[in-house]
Amino acid sequence: MSVARRVITPQEQIAEVPEKIFLFRSCTGSMEYPGTENAIKEVLKILGVEIVSDPDQSCCAGYILTCSGFTPEPALAVTARNLGMVEQRYGLDTYVFCNGCYAYIRELAHVLHTHPDYMKQANDLISQWGYKYEEKTKILHVQELYYLLLDKIKEKVVRPLTGLRVAAHYGCHYLAQQYNILDEGDLPTFHEEIYEALGATPVFYKHRRMCCGYAVGRGFTHKESVVQPQLSKKFDSAKEDGVELMTTTCPGCNVALDREQPNLNKRGFGPYDIPVIDLGQLIALALGVPLWKLGFNANTTPMDGILTKLGLEKGEIGDE
Amino acid sequence: MGRERDKDWDRDLYKKVDRYGIVENLSECLQCGKCAGNCPVAALNPSYNPRQIVNEILQGRVKRLLDSEEIWRCLWCANCYRVCPVDIHYPFLMMQLRYMALEEGYGLKYVVPINKYAHRALDAGLTFVPGKYGIEKIRKLRTSIGVEPWPEVSDRAKKEFRRIFELTGALAWMENLETLEEKPVTFSFLKGKILSRGEVSK
Repeated sequence: MSVARRVITPQEQIAEVPEKIFLFRSCTGSMEYPGTENAIKEVLKILGVEIVSDPDQSCCAGYILTCSGFTPEPALAVTARNLGMVEQRYGLDTYVFCNGCYAYIRELAHVLHTHPDYMKQANDLISQWGYKYEEKTKILHVQELYYLLLDKIKEKVVRPLTGLRVAAHYGCHYLAQQYNILDEGDLPTFHEEIYEALGATPVFYKHRRMCCGYAVGRGFTHKESVVQPQLSKKFDSAKEDGVELMTTTCPGCNVALDREQPNLNKRGFGPYDIPVIDLGQLIALALGVPLWKLGFNANTTPMDGILTKLGLEKGEIGDE
Repeated sequence: MGRERDKDWDRDLYKKVDRYGIVENLSECLQCGKCAGNCPVAALNPSYNPRQIVNEILQGRVKRLLDSEEIWRCLWCANCYRVCPVDIHYPFLMMQLRYMALEEGYGLKYVVPINKYAHRALDAGLTFVPGKYGIEKIRKLRTSIGVEPWPEVSDRAKKEFRRIFELTGALAWMENLETLEEKPVTFSFLKGKILSRGEVSK
């Protein structure tokens, strides 16, 4: 094995452009913002990547584990089960579109890798249903594929987002990985490069690396004492720099940033009115995917202003 | 807090906290404080300091840690882990420290309500399934964008997901928490700390 490095290139992360990928379903993504999953499917279709998913995949079981809601044994077994299932049935790399799933699966797979006794325990447990996890495939994030295919995305833009001031929320659980990620956690720029390819104007606001505060259930338990003051700091700095739209790569962060704005306004912060969507939805917008498929009606902070600015009407059937 | 006694300290605390052996390098901590400098919670709550918590765990100051409000403030953003020069997995440390507090009855109010969703997840194979009204809303939303009304999770996935929780004893552990008596948590580290503007010492 080569020496572990913190930041690697997308070509090192994904050796060759895959024809087929396994897309891991995100619970929050498929329930709160179903448009996210749809947008990713449409974008990858345009980029010529086939998607496989499987109803036998379960939740990653990471979120409530990290809330200390239960012990790690079931989460390790669930990780081994899901990854083992993908390996055995499809032999494809697992692509995740939620930073939460990404971090939990990767950390838990790492624990399994470094603790053979836990691996044995998990495999013994899931062997009764015929699964076996052998670490044959990789766990990757969909945003890594976007970045790898940046030139192709650039070619396919039919609805350039000219003049739109877009800012990134990278999400902690991608950049807080210690090894094998695409950018440095202090000053990441790869989302901004994607915005430029789409014709939009990237905005670097001060607190763009600040956490959304919703991991480990603090959005339930410490909303007023920790999460809201922190989010107000984030949105104040975004507002100051004239951010019009924010993108995430994590449906969990999207819930925090989007749904929390009215509550912040009620508490006397702000007022804030910055729509938050998934990076996949932004790319889909530029690639001309019909608007109704992107599910912007799920957003609490409405996208209407942005769509008007781009000369699109809400509900318009796109170029197809 | 009154005068500290011998039983408030535990020399083997570190091994007890790291019960799963997943933060094995904690004793390598340099006390450099990069974790505290990168912590968004420490920026808001000056009494919360990851460096200090690591130190307290290594020294075995059990009493002061378990009944503290501070240990419940970590957001798991993992910036501490990202910058740590010796790769200490502080988030996993925090998760396990919270197990210990919970088993003593501290901080149950911060976990038991969330476990309502864990119980639902065992039925649905999905985390954060809302109530009846929310489910209806999701069905409408998903139908409007031309996908299946409900995320496709097979009965097999649901059954095996639940069975894993039963067989590993995690479900029993969860249910046990619900029977414990709640003990109060307070700010343990505030005295002698510089307070941020507008904050009052409790």
